Amino acid sequence: MIRALGAFGLGIARLTGALALVLARTALNLPRLDRRELFRSIVLFGYRSLPLALMAAMLIGSTVVLQAGVYAVKFGARLYTGWAAGYALTREFGPLLLGLVMAARIGARNAAELALLNVNGQIEGLRGISLDPFRILVAPRVVGSAVAITCLGSVTFLVAVCFEAVSSYFSLGLPLRVFFDSYQDMLRVGDLVGGLAKTLAFGLAIALVSTVAGLRAKGGAVGVGQAAASAVVLSCAAIFSLDLILTPFLTRLFG
Amino acid sequence: MSALLRIFGAPAILFARTLSAIRQRGVDRRATMVQLVEIGSNSSLLIVSGLAFFGAVMVTIAWAQTRKYTGNITVVGPAYFELMLREFAPLLVAILAASRVGASTSAELAAMSVNEQIEALELCAADPIAELVTPRFIASLIALPALMVIGTVAAAASARLVVTIVFGADGSAFTDARFVDATDILCAFVKAVFCGAFIPLAAAARGLKAKGGAPAVGEAVTAAVVDASMGCLLIDFVVAAAFLLIGV
Amino acid sequence: MAMESTLRALVSAALEQTAVPLSCEALSVRFGRVEALIEVSVTIAPGEQVLVTGQAASGKTTWLKCLAGLQPPTSGQVRWGSDEVARLDIEERRRRQRSFGMVFQSDALFDSMTVLDNVMLPLTKRQVPRDEAVERARAVLERVGLTAAQGKRPEELSGGMKKRVGVARAIVAQPSILLADDPFAGLDPSTERSIAELLLEVSRGRTLVTALPDPVASLPLRRVLRFEQGRLGSVA
Repeated sequence: MIRALGAFGLGIARLTGALALVLARTALNLPRLDRRELFRSIVLFGYRSLPLALMAAMLIGSTVVLQAGVYAVKFGARLYTGWAAGYALTREFGPLLLGLVMAARIGARNAAELALLNVNGQIEGLRGISLDPFRILVAPRVVGSAVAITCLGSVTFLVAVCFEAVSSYFSLGLPLRVFFDSYQDMLRVGDLVGGLAKTLAFGLAIALVSTVAGLRAKGGAVGVGQAAASAVVLSCAAIFSLDLILTPFLTRLFG
Repeated sequence: MSALLRIFGAPAILFARTLSAIRQRGVDRRATMVQLVEIGSNSSLLIVSGLAFFGAVMVTIAWAQTRKYTGNITVVGPAYFELMLREFAPLLVAILAASRVGASTSAELAAMSVNEQIEALELCAADPIAELVTPRFIASLIALPALMVIGTVAAAASARLVVTIVFGADGSAFTDARFVDATDILCAFVKAVFCGAFIPLAAAARGLKAKGGAPAVGEAVTAAVVDASMGCLLIDFVVAAAFLLIGV
Repeated sequence: MAMESTLRALVSAALEQTAVPLSCEALSVRFGRVEALIEVSVTIAPGEQVLVTGQAASGKTTWLKCLAGLQPPTSGQVRWGSDEVARLDIEERRRRQRSFGMVFQSDALFDSMTVLDNVMLPLTKRQVPRDEAVERARAVLERVGLTAAQGKRPEELSGGMKKRVGVARAIVAQPSILLADDPFAGLDPSTERSIAELLLEVSRGRTLVTALPDPVASLPLRRVLRFEQGRLGSVA
């Protein structure tokens, strides 16, 4: 039992170390990033993820309204749907769910691609011809996916809000204006910025964690699969942890 | 929409074939137990910690909210508990399980498929669906409701602890079940069962189709995790809407 | 009713072990944009021993899998006897597949099982009683020289040993049609010779189709087919 705990602790320490290393090397390489790979990452993780993110945002938005509707119907507070939904969405549930869904997809994809390159020896190969794989491959992906996820987050957040308004209209018979009036009254820029900050943090976390998982892969097809699977789990765990740390901090900052 | 077909099409076919495999070859109890332990124990940590964190966060927000408008957090306790049990916990547990179980199942099956092991099974007079899919399907059906209960408990306990210890108020309001009725529990249970059925089917559908070496494995895992999560989101929405429409 | 089903079971058991001619007509298989097989037409009589040669990615593996009913054709037909494979329902196809044994290019051993369990699987899945299955599996393992390794897992074996386990697993149920996809890859010459001898011995009077990059001295089969970029070339 003690040994299991010890091994677990050691595993966490090693993981944290690897994460810190990737973060540091990415930061150090920022001025000299390979632009083409950066652009490619942004397109791959941002543009190509857009359909999924939009669909997820629509579903999540509608679900949150449904949930708030359940709450409102049960407690007769119809006019406050905008408030309840907006609050829950910006501050908490929306970004969290979206983060989890995107962590799964982007984390898996990033880890799988890096794992493939690693397992096929291409990363070692780059070092062999004295090219720094970090500058050319890894760092651009980290930055690219972080940027992409943040942009995705803002776009889909807006979509989710609109979708919530529309589904409030249909499900609770609430006129759109009432929704947005109350929304604006009780929601402030601080909350929006908070939601955005969370999305950025999630994006960076997903990028770092999936990169580490991918680079650690070994063993052919099986290794790639395991890297992708562990990237998914670690990304989810990272998001929850970040959520726990950031929420009280942001609450205090923005009231 | 074509997206709907893409997410539910292949799993639906696999569902039919799994049912016929069960009818023709029965259920391997030992393999199912192995999968049950695998799904249950490997997902528990993620779900307990995730839901506990979520409970703490939700209560933090409730604290900030009520301080601004009513000043008394215990008032929203029972309402939040009901909403948590009926809506938040099932959805979160489903998404987490979809990610974890979906990723590991599709990774295993895709690696097997790419290494020709699925075809080898067929030529060993075995049915890959009966050997690989059925145990995971049954195990997930059982495990997901159990995980949902564990997750709800974790979130509620965490909420209560945080309110009591961090905010110094009466945390018992957040485990107060006075608004919870049978339909809430049924709603959560139905979601858990349907998601529990869907996740292994979606993951297996992607994994078994993988062809072409290690790249195919990565693609299969990515696609499986997306299918599983989106499917669970949809299922959750449909079930929640249905229950709301019926008026419960 | 009971007698009819018993009769049917006896007949199908007999049928399972009867080799039938394997044929394909205008068989084409396409994966996305890649054409793996193009209009392949050939017949293999029961009990025939055929060597199939060709470079990597010339279509040999795909063709073998089509013959075994593992890969559905994009167009054209594969027939077992007079029945078109694509038209059989799943359970019927699975029953007929029991006449086949295949050595896979990637070994395809089951990692979670020991060597002995791997080799026993074709027997236990055919409802052979466990004691008999263990005995037959051990006998075959002795024949390929792997008795000492029977308790090991595939990951502990060398490439050559894994190949031999694959051969053992393919022949243990005495299939009437034996397919071997690149069975000598990575083997040293003496192991290659003993496996070749084994294949010839086991397939006496039965159908054998072996795919190799080029003809080899250790396996002198009279009929040689050559695949080139998905097409069937010379028929010797």
